[in-house]
Amino acid sequence: MTDWAVAAITRLLEWILIGLLAGMAAMVLLNVVLRYGFNSGLTFSEEMSRYFFVWLTFIGAVLTFGEHGHIGVETLVRRFGRSGRLICMAISNAIILICSGVMFWGTWIQHDINASMTAAVVGLSMIWVFGVGYFTALGIGVIATIRLFRILTGRTTEAEVAHFAGEWGDGVVQNRGGE
Amino acid sequence: MTIIVFLVTIFVTMAIGVPVAFALMFCGVVLMQWLGIFNSSILSQQMIQGANTFTLLAIPFFLLAGELMNAGGLSKRIVDFAIACVGHIRGGLGLVAIIAAVIMASLSGSAAADSAALASILIPMMREAGYHVPRAAGLMAAGGIIAPVIPPSIAFIIFGVAANVSITGLFLGGVVPGILMALTLVVIWIIVARKEKVAVLPRVPMSGRLRATGRATWALVMPVIVLGGIRLGIFTPTEAAVVAATYALLVGLFIYRELKIRDLYAVFLNAAKVTSVVLFLVAAALVTSWLITRANIPGEISQFLAPVIDRPRLLMLLIVLLVLLVGTALDLAPTILILTPVLMPLIIQAGIDPVYFGVIFVMANCIGLLTPPVGVVLNVVSGVARVPFGQVVVGVTPFLLGQIALLFLLVLVPQIVTVPLEWLR
Amino acid sequence: QVQERTITISNGVAETHPVGNGVQAMQACFDERTGGTWTLNAFWSAALGNDLDATQALRSGTQEMVVTSTSPLVGIEPALGVFDLPFLFADDQEADAILDGEFGAMISEKMEAHGLINLAYWENGFRNLTNSVRPVTKLEDLEGMRVRVMQNDIFLDTFSNLGTNAMPMAFGEVFTALETGTIDAQENPYVTIDTSQFSEVQEYLTETRHAYTPFMVLFSKAIFDTYSPEEQQILRDCAMEGQAVQRQASRELSQQSLERVQEAGMKFNQLEPTEMERIREAVATVYETHADTIGRDVVEAMQAALDELRSGG
Ligand code: NA
Ligand code: NA
Repeated sequence: MTDWAVAAITRLLEWILIGLLAGMAAMVLLNVVLRYGFNSGLTFSEEMSRYFFVWLTFIGAVLTFGEHGHIGVETLVRRFGRSGRLICMAISNAIILICSGVMFWGTWIQHDINASMTAAVVGLSMIWVFGVGYFTALGIGVIATIRLFRILTGRTTEAEVAHFAGEWGDGVVQNRGGE
Repeated sequence: MTIIVFLVTIFVTMAIGVPVAFALMFCGVVLMQWLGIFNSSILSQQMIQGANTFTLLAIPFFLLAGELMNAGGLSKRIVDFAIACVGHIRGGLGLVAIIAAVIMASLSGSAAADSAALASILIPMMREAGYHVPRAAGLMAAGGIIAPVIPPSIAFIIFGVAANVSITGLFLGGVVPGILMALTLVVIWIIVARKEKVAVLPRVPMSGRLRATGRATWALVMPVIVLGGIRLGIFTPTEAAVVAATYALLVGLFIYRELKIRDLYAVFLNAAKVTSVVLFLVAAALVTSWLITRANIPGEISQFLAPVIDRPRLLMLLIVLLVLLVGTALDLAPTILILTPVLMPLIIQAGIDPVYFGVIFVMANCIGLLTPPVGVVLNVVSGVARVPFGQVVVGVTPFLLGQIALLFLLVLVPQIVTVPLEWLR
Repeated sequence: QVQERTITISNGVAETHPVGNGVQAMQACFDERTGGTWTLNAFWSAALGNDLDATQALRSGTQEMVVTSTSPLVGIEPALGVFDLPFLFADDQEADAILDGEFGAMISEKMEAHGLINLAYWENGFRNLTNSVRPVTKLEDLEGMRVRVMQNDIFLDTFSNLGTNAMPMAFGEVFTALETGTIDAQENPYVTIDTSQFSEVQEYLTETRHAYTPFMVLFSKAIFDTYSPEEQQILRDCAMEGQAVQRQASRELSQQSLERVQEAGMKFNQLEPTEMERIREAVATVYETHADTIGRDVVEAMQAALDELRSGG
């Protein structure tokens, strides 16, 4: 895939995340205003804002995985030399690949059970919510596969190894939440 | 035996650099195999159901509020206000940091965000004034961990949801311990800063103080709106987070005018990304938590701790030691999520007030943010202040010891937490 | 053939709820019938997730059993919405007769298509209204009241028709919202009102009995099918033994709960029959509005069963 395509997909995902966050906030805020100001409310906001939240979390997880953004413990890995780090990186990506495989498979075998259930108020088929597992599993799986392939064929760059070990260069702080 | 499988899997996978969320997912896979109930749908269903919880929505909203406060100039004005008040006292910039930390804590729920804001604004000033930079960085880190103890708090929300304990009760319970944490820092800062040969900022005249207060008014009103709105029943704690974000947005855009529409892309995106990192981790932890519950590991642990179950203080002491130990290697959210289902049954059995436990438990977890080798707040401060990690660790040590001493005091004299809590309720 | 089994069962309620009595009775029955080789591994207070999530786990065969209200399951089987219709059953006897009779069996059969075996109907009970504004003595008293209801279309519609501002809210937020006055009112069975300590934050309790919520004792069909016919029979029989104990406990505790919340200071009132009639009329259209979603045949079958019961007895 060309860099251009990666950038376009990233940009699209970023806009989706922003839209979901803004949409959640708007629904919850509007509900407060309607209840306090007009003694009425949106019956769908409790449910829909939760679904937006699920999509935000599981779509964002792919984007942040692509940016090495997930919280990790690099203390031990940082002590290793390049080859040690590459071995850890290979095992790590293999484990992540297993996780996304299990997630994809689980979403698949649960597909009909979720598809045959509807949301209590908005009536949406729940596969639209739980089906986000396909996207997350595929997205993370593809990235992990590419990383694994690059390690095995010796194409991994110094920067990638450094990012894996949590080294981002002088003064650069990864904004990783947690607390 | 199950617990050993769990611990070995989680620590080995994390040690080789697997991000915590995936280490937890993998742990789930291994535990399912071990328990003989392997079914991939447990993993996918539990993760997505975990995020599908309305009360967790406060997390993205408070993160958004924090981003908007930093970008919209609210955080900076809070620091300016504190400087005008105590900047002229010897070691005063340290006191500024502590006061600013408390005010920020009453607005934000995130230790990492607070210490980043404090450190980025104050450390350059302290460096210029001749303060010992690693010590200053240590103070910012220790000030930052007050954020999750004083409400609002993402840590309390996560614990409240995991333990099924009233989030409002936890919020109220955190007020006094949070202020005590700040006072502890003041005492220790005064002791360690006595020998600092630093330039003192000129005393700000009364008119200047009033001006700084006036400029910060809009920012200082925010906690009143958030907490007042909850108490008056205008909105729920979850909704309060949205109101806080909206308020910071409006003040930043139209009153301080430091926030531009084009900045919103980065602000929203950042809040969204941090949300997904945190929530993906929460979701993954819920898979292992479900399996731990189902495998009756809490039962195994309670057999181990059973001899002390009728001695609540000793039980609390052992639990705090356990959390501090685990906290050296794991950060706040994962520790809360992993330990809560294990510990809660014991707490209930021992007749300990779950809100009191939640407050102590979260405090102990916050201290873990300051302990090497893994401490997110240490990493943030070291990055922002450009001080090597090792030096920040040395700088934070006196403050860390002070906070640990306070924690043990609260375990030995629970009334310090419970009496004001009764009064606030 | 009876094998050694550990059966995981989960609930959204605390162990002290009458469901606890039912589960105990079931375990006692298992002990007797299987010589102590079956163990119920029970999880309370949604420790394994909420009832809807647990039900989905049953459908995929990752958990054996759940005791759940019918209301959250309408997204799986729309016919269950029939039990959310307002003022359906007049009293306990009617509810028991319909649920344990042909109609109940017809609903249980529908659950099998979703991979769920309904072993028995237990009860959550009749729901009543609490609020912090005024005693509800007539229909007009409900006007503009902010009432929390479950995330459920029929409840939302019922309470809108009564003139209230009905809003769905997660149960975990209800206590605080009532305490601070974000909402004025909520509706639940007496036992829930008592155990959730709503008496601390609500002043008035009105006996509306506007809905009767059954519990279903569901078993995973995927797992059920691997049991021998003898074991399947043990499951059904013991769930029924549990039923007797659970319903009796529920009805006794319901009265005790009502007394307790009054002692705690709640002002209790019943409605005049004429006012009750006006309230029923106000929500009568709900039956028609939701007939198509529930299934017209289901609503008609219920009406027929009720008519027969009422004329016959
Ligand atoms: Na806070
Ligand atoms: Na630590």
